Amino acid sequence: MIWLAWQNSLLRPGRTLLIILAVAAILAEILALEGFLAGSYWQLRQAVLQRGDAVIVAQSGITNFFATRSILPQQARSQVEAVSGVVSTHPLTALAAIYESGSLRSPLIVLAYDDSGGPRQIETGRLPSETGDIVVDLSLAKKFALDLGDRLTLSDYDFTIVGFARGETALFTPFAFTNFDTLIDFYFNSDLASDIAAFPLLSFLVVDIIPDANAQEMADQISAHVAGVTAIPIETMARHDEKLGQELLGPILNLLLGLSYGVGALAIGLFTFAAVRGRRKSFGVLRALGFSVVDIGLSVTFEAVAWAIAAIPVGIVFAMAIARLIEALAPGYLLLVTEPKALIQTALIAMVLGVLGALLPLRMLIQLDPASAFKD
Amino acid sequence: MLKWAIRELLFSPQQLFANIAAVAGAFALVLFFEGIFAGESRQIVAMIDHTEADVWVMQKGVGNMHMATSFVADWKIDRVKNVKGVKKVTPILYLSSAIEAGGSNWFSFVVGLEAGDPRAGPWKHAGGAQLPAAGTAVVPDIFASDAGLKIGDTVRIIGRDFTISGFSSETFSMANSVTYVTLADLADAMSSLGIVSYMLVDADAGVAPQELAARIMDEVEGVNVLTRDDFIRRDYSIAYQMGLEIVWMMTVIGGILAVLLTGFIIYAHIAERERELAMMKALGVRNLAIYGATMVQAFTIGALALCLAIAAILLAIPLTEWLMPKVSLAMTMDALLKTAGLAFGVCLIASVLPVMRVLSVDPVTAFQQ
Repeated sequence: MIWLAWQNSLLRPGRTLLIILAVAAILAEILALEGFLAGSYWQLRQAVLQRGDAVIVAQSGITNFFATRSILPQQARSQVEAVSGVVSTHPLTALAAIYESGSLRSPLIVLAYDDSGGPRQIETGRLPSETGDIVVDLSLAKKFALDLGDRLTLSDYDFTIVGFARGETALFTPFAFTNFDTLIDFYFNSDLASDIAAFPLLSFLVVDIIPDANAQEMADQISAHVAGVTAIPIETMARHDEKLGQELLGPILNLLLGLSYGVGALAIGLFTFAAVRGRRKSFGVLRALGFSVVDIGLSVTFEAVAWAIAAIPVGIVFAMAIARLIEALAPGYLLLVTEPKALIQTALIAMVLGVLGALLPLRMLIQLDPASAFKD
Repeated sequence: MLKWAIRELLFSPQQLFANIAAVAGAFALVLFFEGIFAGESRQIVAMIDHTEADVWVMQKGVGNMHMATSFVADWKIDRVKNVKGVKKVTPILYLSSAIEAGGSNWFSFVVGLEAGDPRAGPWKHAGGAQLPAAGTAVVPDIFASDAGLKIGDTVRIIGRDFTISGFSSETFSMANSVTYVTLADLADAMSSLGIVSYMLVDADAGVAPQELAARIMDEVEGVNVLTRDDFIRRDYSIAYQMGLEIVWMMTVIGGILAVLLTGFIIYAHIAERERELAMMKALGVRNLAIYGATMVQAFTIGALALCLAIAAILLAIPLTEWLMPKVSLAMTMDALLKTAGLAFGVCLIASVLPVMRVLSVDPVTAFQQ
């Protein structure tokens, strides 16, 4: 039966190729959407996890890193360091801004850090060390064609780009990193000077704890001992940010994804249905030659599975091409199109729907008169 | 030829239905994507649009609300009020933040209003108090129903609890919802006393917004001033990057998919009739008539599929509003025309290609099989 399915597929290679390409295109669209969601959530998690390993301290009641405003009292650092089990603390200050050059605009999160919590991977250049230095994510550099040594102006304050970081973007927003000397200089020498009272000097504290200490227990201990702060394991904050991303993107993109699955399933089923129905005469010949309905049913099932199997790698290649194209057009986007869960789910759907579509005309095959093959 | 075209179309009704359903599904997907894009585009700048201030004043260097932080010392309010042509100035404090309620977090614009002044407040009321009082918040109705919140429940904004006192309508979108509290409460929560974020400026009758914006820029230092239209345009460009862009990209990809599927189905439908077309040519039927007959078939499939897709979307709009109130869906004439143009363009190309191939070979081959 496999041989029969193979011969049937080769009978009209052009049509077979078209079906495989069409199914692959459907799979690619679904994988691209799944990949976008997976990539966005991964970026949100990483934006937090790259700041440290153990515990993060924020303003009381704040449990997100992204899209929030946290202001810690200056004395919080010494109080947290006094908690038993705390090895060291690293201050972080986050500032949301919009970078604008010509007609292009981009949201930007400026993170001032001291000795830890800065960019995890420097692609080119160096970390900020002098006043005025800034490191920006590569996605911002690509979008605005920025080079090392270029000026990056925010609120009339000129930063000098000294490095490009990789993988420091979350929720379409690139991160920029600077040191505290630069932050203070920025506050006093930019347009913000007259309104500086409202700007944060300390947003978060990244806490290193003694080896083998439990992060959750340490966080609870810090929250209990230091007034006006909330301490949580970094892993937990990363999960909160991922959940925030799911709340933000989920309703619409999951709906689009569900529709894509629905339309894709319909199309795959209809392709195979149409392909099988279109070969009534050939099946009549096979019946006349003594092939049973079960033989023919198995043959079309094998054929549908073969189409799906052939379409899956092509679909993955298409999806990777879509991902590269989107990432090139919109730097900062990340499409993880080869996430195993989405791949397996999509491949299974393609196969099941293909087989269902192939078996739908089974009644027609059962009722098929072998003599019909010779009537035309 | 027309008779042949119709007879061939109706020869296998199941096949015809399968073809129409597949093409309709693909175009419904494109229309749905476009509908979400249009709905969210409208909703994403709803606050600036609906408050209808002639001019917006903000911190120098700031030109939008999405992802922005704008702080202006409150003594500048009087400076703006004194500018000639200014009728009313309404300051708001603003924070773009995650807010927590019912065990979930939402991304929201938190707007601090001067107590008792509805000018910058919710434009559509949906129950409870219309404006926030001290310690209370007015939240979007969609947000409340999704989180199962009722009057008297609590939402947490930057670590501070607010009691829900009212619901607003049309204030929810993918990138932001709008939550209203009092300016004093928000200033306290943000430790930002003596500061406002934006000023909504109403102009005297007959004063052009551009003219007033330029005058305020000249007379008040350290601020940026934009007319409502400029502010919407600039804010939209950032909001677009914060989620709408991917919907647009998926619409394009969905469009390509629809083109491929339609092309494939029409091409396969015509290609299956190649032998008959070759016979027609051998029997002396004019090429134009053959092209015409195949195009009638292709356009019939395309038109019926498009009608089915539009019907599906018209049904989906109220259904989505009912089942998924968080999603804004709108159908525009522009999207319809674009999709229709795309559908007919593909039908034309996909029906002409196999006929061209048939007409380019010797008609005698039709009798050789």
